[in-house]
Amino acid sequence: MNAPVSTTWPTDEAIVRAAVDFARALRTQGLCTSVDSENVFLRALSEIDVRSIDGLFWAGHCAFVQGPDQIDTYKLIFERFWDGRPLIVGTRGAEHGESDARMEAASHHGGEAMPQLGGKGKEKVAVDGESHRSDRDIPNAEGEDATSDQQVGVMVAWSATEELSDRNDMAYEREELAALRQLADEIKKAAPERSSRRQRPSPRGHRFDVRGTVRKSMTTDGEAFRLGYTGPRPVPRRLLFLCDVSGSMERYSRVLLASLKVAVGAARKAEAFVFATRLTRLTKSLDGHDFERALEGARAAIPDWSGGTRIGGAIGEFNRSYARRGFARGAIVLVVSDGWDRGDPQVLASEVKRLQLQARRLIWVNPRPVALNEQPLAIGMQAAMPYIDEFVPGHDPRAIAGMASLIAGVDAQRPHRRTSPNAA
Amino acid sequence: MLGYDSIAELQGALSNERYLVDDGLGTVVFLALKLRRPLLLEGEPGVGKTELAKALAAVSGAPLIRLQCYEGIDVHHALYDWDYPRQLLQLRAGGSTQLYSEEFLLRRPLLEALSRPNAVLLIDELDRADDEFEAFLLEFLSEFQVTIPEVGVYKAEQPPVVIITSNRTRDLHEALKRRCLYHWIEHPDFERELAIVSARLPHIGRDLARQVCTFVQDLRWLDLYRAPGVGETLDWLEGVHALGRDELDPVTVDRTLGVLLKERDDLDRIRKQDIGGLVARAQEPPG
Repeated sequence: MNAPVSTTWPTDEAIVRAAVDFARALRTQGLCTSVDSENVFLRALSEIDVRSIDGLFWAGHCAFVQGPDQIDTYKLIFERFWDGRPLIVGTRGAEHGESDARMEAASHHGGEAMPQLGGKGKEKVAVDGESHRSDRDIPNAEGEDATSDQQVGVMVAWSATEELSDRNDMAYEREELAALRQLADEIKKAAPERSSRRQRPSPRGHRFDVRGTVRKSMTTDGEAFRLGYTGPRPVPRRLLFLCDVSGSMERYSRVLLASLKVAVGAARKAEAFVFATRLTRLTKSLDGHDFERALEGARAAIPDWSGGTRIGGAIGEFNRSYARRGFARGAIVLVVSDGWDRGDPQVLASEVKRLQLQARRLIWVNPRPVALNEQPLAIGMQAAMPYIDEFVPGHDPRAIAGMASLIAGVDAQRPHRRTSPNAA
Repeated sequence: MLGYDSIAELQGALSNERYLVDDGLGTVVFLALKLRRPLLLEGEPGVGKTELAKALAAVSGAPLIRLQCYEGIDVHHALYDWDYPRQLLQLRAGGSTQLYSEEFLLRRPLLEALSRPNAVLLIDELDRADDEFEAFLLEFLSEFQVTIPEVGVYKAEQPPVVIITSNRTRDLHEALKRRCLYHWIEHPDFERELAIVSARLPHIGRDLARQVCTFVQDLRWLDLYRAPGVGETLDWLEGVHALGRDELDPVTVDRTLGVLLKERDDLDRIRKQDIGGLVARAQEPPG
């Protein structure tokens, strides 16, 4: 990349035009390019040798890229743009779970050529063969093992054999919405807290508050009659949802997604992930006021709806890319899965164990009906069992109200565990 | 004074301080200095985010002012505090001095950075602080000024060079990112890592350095929980050297692996795998 592009210096006008077009091209791929960052880019261009493609690359890089997940998209657009080739990109540019009207547009009219310099290339190259599955590609549930006759809670109105084929219309019934609203209320009420390192004035606190005391003694001529104390300020504890959306869980996924949306919105601090063969972070897609749009966005963000299950692999991915950064530390982790795992049970066990060590509580909600309890649990489930703090069998995810009471039920005490980590 | 006319000049100055920057980081640092924007650095632990700030301070001869973030950090740890005991004494002594004046002001790192010309301010691991603190930083980062209600507005005559690091334990706020230039530091490739190691530990033989770098580069491909950073490479190389070895051998590697890998699972995995094989690969002559 060291070769200079040209030897003549382009005019200011040409530079500004190109810079703005470039920013627009990035925007169509979901990189957040504000006028502010365009400004930075232009100012940066005035400081470097714009004839060097390397300098150009890095100037744009520091102005437009805001995370490691955007680097590849940036590289791609950069190369295509300054090469003058059509910018046909079939994949979503930003990280999983980013819901953005602009991106949607980009993926819907995937063939649109974007603004570019030059224009010598006519060839249409698919940038990435792996185009994501459209909504209509979602196959129906297959091989359902049982019908649920153990429905509890507010969602009993929903049939267990609900056809999922027309999930394209994500329209929710009025009762369903009411139930979801109730869930939101309950999660708000449940709101688990932990105490933070931040202090606040508190008469029952244990730390002497010099600041408050001095302030109070100003009114009494420097005599500290009333002593002030501070105590730790409570902050919301993180709720972490890890939901299975693989084939065997398919019939729950519609309501699961809606519940996730509601829970993420209602809890003051929550993160949602779904997995089948791989892990997708949904928090960002689920954020937002427009219910239906958020769900659409979330669905589009999941690359492997109803795929096979690799629970161990997915939790491993979580451990490596998120838990390491502290996502699970002190959090209440809710795994919703039936434990049907096509991966190695050993891997599953070790990954769940790792996750448990970071989490405040690890709750596993298994939607397998209680009626089937005589039959042995799925192998994956058995493997994970020793490392779960709270196992909730036979819980129909459609009884979503139950989720809130579960969370509320987890009290501040640490669970008894870790005495025999090798128990199997 | 941190004025450089070209990126190469800046790279040269930093390498004199034994900090090697590639073209990408070099350009970004150059631009951060030119545009007077804070630089937000992210990357795996141990890729040298903090070291960059130290090196920048060293080349400019300016003081490095460091603010380590942690959960619960607030204005009184970061910006200023009042010297309460002195105020109280003053009050009780019946002095007539203004209690909330500069005389009783304790300067914390941010205020310190504003009052010293050309300071290098390192705001380390900002992701550990909470949202409120991040919001508080916004005024500081965009205007290089802070407001202390009792005294007034402090503004830097010469804005400090600000380096912010984050380990991505949470997403930083959009508004904060917008005020910064962003750079993601990758693990260095073999050549660069060897160059860094040779620059930092020049007294250690090049053969050993080469073997250690090859070994570490191989480890980074293994999808470990915690891949070793350059920091660990340096520690390990020093460790092996301290044991009097001038070549890697399986026994030494096995005994010193804890310097490199800090996760039990990773250690188990590498020990179960063939350490001998990795060492043999590392001992292959270059090319």
